[in-house]
Amino acid sequence: MASLAEATTRTEAAERRRVRPLIATLPAVAWLLAFFATPLVIFAVYSLLTNELYAVGTPFTLDAYRDALTSTLNRTLARNSLEVGLSTAAVTVMAGLPIAYWLRFVARRSRIAVLFLIAASMFASYLVRIYAWRTVLGSRGLVNSALDRAGLIDQPLGFLLYSRFAVIVALVHIFLPYVVLVLYAGMGPLGEGLLEAAQDLGAKSSLLWRRVIIPIMAAPAFSAFVFVFILSAADYVTPQFLGGKDGVTLGVQIQQNFVGVGNWPLASATSFLMLLAFVAVFAVGSFILRRLKLNDIRLSS
Amino acid sequence: MARSARRVGMARRDFLRRTGVAVVTIGATPSILAACGGDDGTGDAPSPTGPAASPEAPDASGTLNFLSWEGYDIPVDSMEAWRKDQGIEVNPTYIANHDEIQAKIKGGGAAAGYDLITYYQGYMPLYTELEILTPLDENKLPNLSGLFPFWASDVNNFWIDPEGQRIGVPWTWGSIGLTYNSAEVDEMSSWYDLLDPSLKGKVATVDDPAGNFNLCCKILDLQSNEVPKDRLGDIVDLMSQFVAQGRGVSPSFGDMTTKLVSGDAVACFHGWAAMNTFAADQGVDTIKTNIPEEGSHSFCDSYAIPPTSENPDAALAWINEALDPVVNAEAAEYLVGGVTVEASVENLNKATRGLYPYDDLDGLLELAPLAINAPTESDEFVTFPEWNEAFQGIKAGA
Repeated sequence: MASLAEATTRTEAAERRRVRPLIATLPAVAWLLAFFATPLVIFAVYSLLTNELYAVGTPFTLDAYRDALTSTLNRTLARNSLEVGLSTAAVTVMAGLPIAYWLRFVARRSRIAVLFLIAASMFASYLVRIYAWRTVLGSRGLVNSALDRAGLIDQPLGFLLYSRFAVIVALVHIFLPYVVLVLYAGMGPLGEGLLEAAQDLGAKSSLLWRRVIIPIMAAPAFSAFVFVFILSAADYVTPQFLGGKDGVTLGVQIQQNFVGVGNWPLASATSFLMLLAFVAVFAVGSFILRRLKLNDIRLSS
Repeated sequence: MARSARRVGMARRDFLRRTGVAVVTIGATPSILAACGGDDGTGDAPSPTGPAASPEAPDASGTLNFLSWEGYDIPVDSMEAWRKDQGIEVNPTYIANHDEIQAKIKGGGAAAGYDLITYYQGYMPLYTELEILTPLDENKLPNLSGLFPFWASDVNNFWIDPEGQRIGVPWTWGSIGLTYNSAEVDEMSSWYDLLDPSLKGKVATVDDPAGNFNLCCKILDLQSNEVPKDRLGDIVDLMSQFVAQGRGVSPSFGDMTTKLVSGDAVACFHGWAAMNTFAADQGVDTIKTNIPEEGSHSFCDSYAIPPTSENPDAALAWINEALDPVVNAEAAEYLVGGVTVEASVENLNKATRGLYPYDDLDGLLELAPLAINAPTESDEFVTFPEWNEAFQGIKAGA
């Protein structure tokens, strides 16, 4: 009897351990259902309805998807969005990795101060940072002025501002702090002992990175990549301030269709197609990680 | 008003810098009365609704749910004093883009509860179609009698519908022009001067689809709301040339001012005289604005009461007070705009009075008439969605 009671108690305790975390997630789940899933469903329905100028009506139709997919402009803007997103994400992650490594293994006393500075850089307004880049990259900006004073140019370098280059530079600057923090957290399992063991076994720096650090960092780096990619590709503010023709993104067109033209089905359909593109990038990345067996590397202490 | 802007709230002065519509300095001399008044009439007398015996503003109080640009709630001393005395509490919802007004009212339905909005006259057909403009009782708007005859007229049914029913009250206005840095380029008398090869990469354009369309139509001598579909190509071609003279399209008028100040641009398609002041505030006092020989267009913003209103009397009292000569003048100074009330002119400071040729309003409005936006649907004429698609393509080089 005693063992049965103990077993029952253990079962109940296990059940509580299983249920309590689920209960703890309820507020977040409820929030997401109310303010994310529900609007998403409404958008999905809107994308299938008929446009009635700042309103929607029946019958249900796929016209909005057809219009979104057959638009030459949409294809151009989607390509711009993907290129800006992929470039920004790649540069940000590549720049973030060495910084995170330095913070984790090299910086000792200065670590907290540097982490604080990284976090503090996120306090600056998004628009302030965009305008700051204009003062750096403008025709009379810091870069052109310095090059001019050095006698290296006689005309300002035009490609620096109002170009895709400028957009990517600004977005990298904006997202780098987030990526560094994500990668720094991802390096938690990378103990110094592990690195020393690899070095004791003859791994030089490049091999250490290739065979130890990068495999362990692949999953968090991919998370950071997707994070930056989605936000950059969907951004339509930075391209408007810093971009030229090749900086205009699909987000601008979606906003115009929602607010300026009042074609809610078309805007919703375009949004969903963009969402599909994001999911596709995520799926491809996840597939590659799985194939390379890099998606779930766990280290025991 | 501009269809595009930053998507954050902004002060009216900032709005004017960043998005707005235009104002142009042209030579000012005598008699606004000769130009606007009497029987020469830039416009006909209004056709008021109801008996004109002794109109009286409602003695209303309570909350006024306001939906428009920040600054259009007239935060000047005279209006604040009246509001407090009246017991009206303004609950503002500021927009960053004119289109947010119809989007919020149609998207939020009656639950939105907005009592007072403004609209740019070019939006009148759209707002009529969307049934956003409700009839206004002129018997509760005694200060209407102080409007300049032009602003009191039923020109193009902007404020008075074809049945003679008032639907809006004009209270601020201005004109679009060509803004340039006189330290960098000579005075420009034609919009086509902007296409000079020497200005390659130095011309700023603004992300204002409706404003650009209306201006291109004016340059090509087309009526913006009745452009045959086969002429869309001409407008696209012209706009493409202007955009190609710059590097990227500015998201706002304020951004163009920044480009002028930083030297990234020397001229704008299109600008307005207030940019001269804004640039001067930033230390560059060589920015000038004029109306080229092809002409331009003007804007006028009107107060209106949407069907969502739950306190229309407070809205009517507000509108009436906005036409008080002192309030209208203070509002114009605050907004760097024009007055619609005749007696307000003498209350204006020199700078604001000099913005517009009140002595030759007729001439100004002939050179820069009030534009009507392209229709939303038409089998015959270019529609706004068609132009918007084309304009986005121009921006992206598609």
